[in-house]
Amino acid sequence: MSFIEIQCSEVLSSVIFIIEDELETVPQAAQINSHLTHCAPCTAEIEHERLMHQMLADVLKRSCNEQAPEELRQNIHRQIREQMGNYAGATEVVTQFSMTEISIEVDEFGNVEHREIQIEQTHIQHFIDDED
Amino acid sequence: MTSKDLVLESAADRTTRFERDALVFTNQLYAAALRYTKNPEDARDLVQDTYLKAFTSFHQFEEGTNLRAWLYRVLTTTFINSYRKGQRQPLIADNELEDWQVAKAQSHTSDQGKSAETVALESLPDSDIKRALQEIPEEFRMVVYLADVEGFSYKEIAEIVGAPAGTVMSRLHRGRKQLREKLTDYAKELGYSTESSDKPSSKKGVNK
Repeated sequence: MSFIEIQCSEVLSSVIFIIEDELETVPQAAQINSHLTHCAPCTAEIEHERLMHQMLADVLKRSCNEQAPEELRQNIHRQIREQMGNYAGATEVVTQFSMTEISIEVDEFGNVEHREIQIEQTHIQHFIDDED
Repeated sequence: MTSKDLVLESAADRTTRFERDALVFTNQLYAAALRYTKNPEDARDLVQDTYLKAFTSFHQFEEGTNLRAWLYRVLTTTFINSYRKGQRQPLIADNELEDWQVAKAQSHTSDQGKSAETVALESLPDSDIKRALQEIPEEFRMVVYLADVEGFSYKEIAEIVGAPAGTVMSRLHRGRKQLREKLTDYAKELGYSTESSDKPSSKKGVNK
């Protein structure tokens, strides 16, 4: 064995990473995997944790599925429309400028140096439409 | 030099797009808001504020990225900034990660413990599940909800709640653990048998 064996408690404290499929982010990932190949209690524990995690997620999903009241939907719709009134007739125009500067230099030894520089600029304007 | 004008979209078009893409999440956001605020009135106000904020900053949302995650971020920050202030929630200490790593002198769960948890999760009604969720600390409740009900990855949750990924992992671990402990306690109080997990309906009186 090239690495030091780790304790069950260290494996168990990384359970969350195993459940979330993020074991590779744990520094001792290799030792943990090796431990799991021969430790039945730890393997059983991980199995139990997976099952509990799935069951917990299922009961939470089942319990937390309230429907938004109709009044809330109407209020949201009304508020959004009111808010839109503040920008009514506004149009956003985005102007993009781009320019490429190319320079070619030939030095005394005949070496060619070629440079291209791209310059970009974006300008955003809001226009309020006149129509009523 | 070249220049081109891109007329993006009118306010009316943007509104239509917002209503089409964002309002489909109203039920989900409302259920989450109920978990955050713990009462229907505040939940309604929170969802309304969230949509209004999201609408006014919708031009900042990059199309093609995750709109649902973005809406949850708006919901969560609105809650933290505006609603929580009145509630005076005790916050978890900053050293929660170390605290978690030190406090985890873990040992294997006994078979009895395992079956008690299984029975609790199999038997308890929705009202008890929601009660347990309400009783765990807010930071834990949020991440457990976002992960286990909404299915966000812990990295997405880190963005939504504005906390480091490691902190999210720790909260997720501790939140789920506390939740399971509470549910197991409820099941014991209600007298659900833990000895025969295949017959969860056989009730036993709580022995005094």
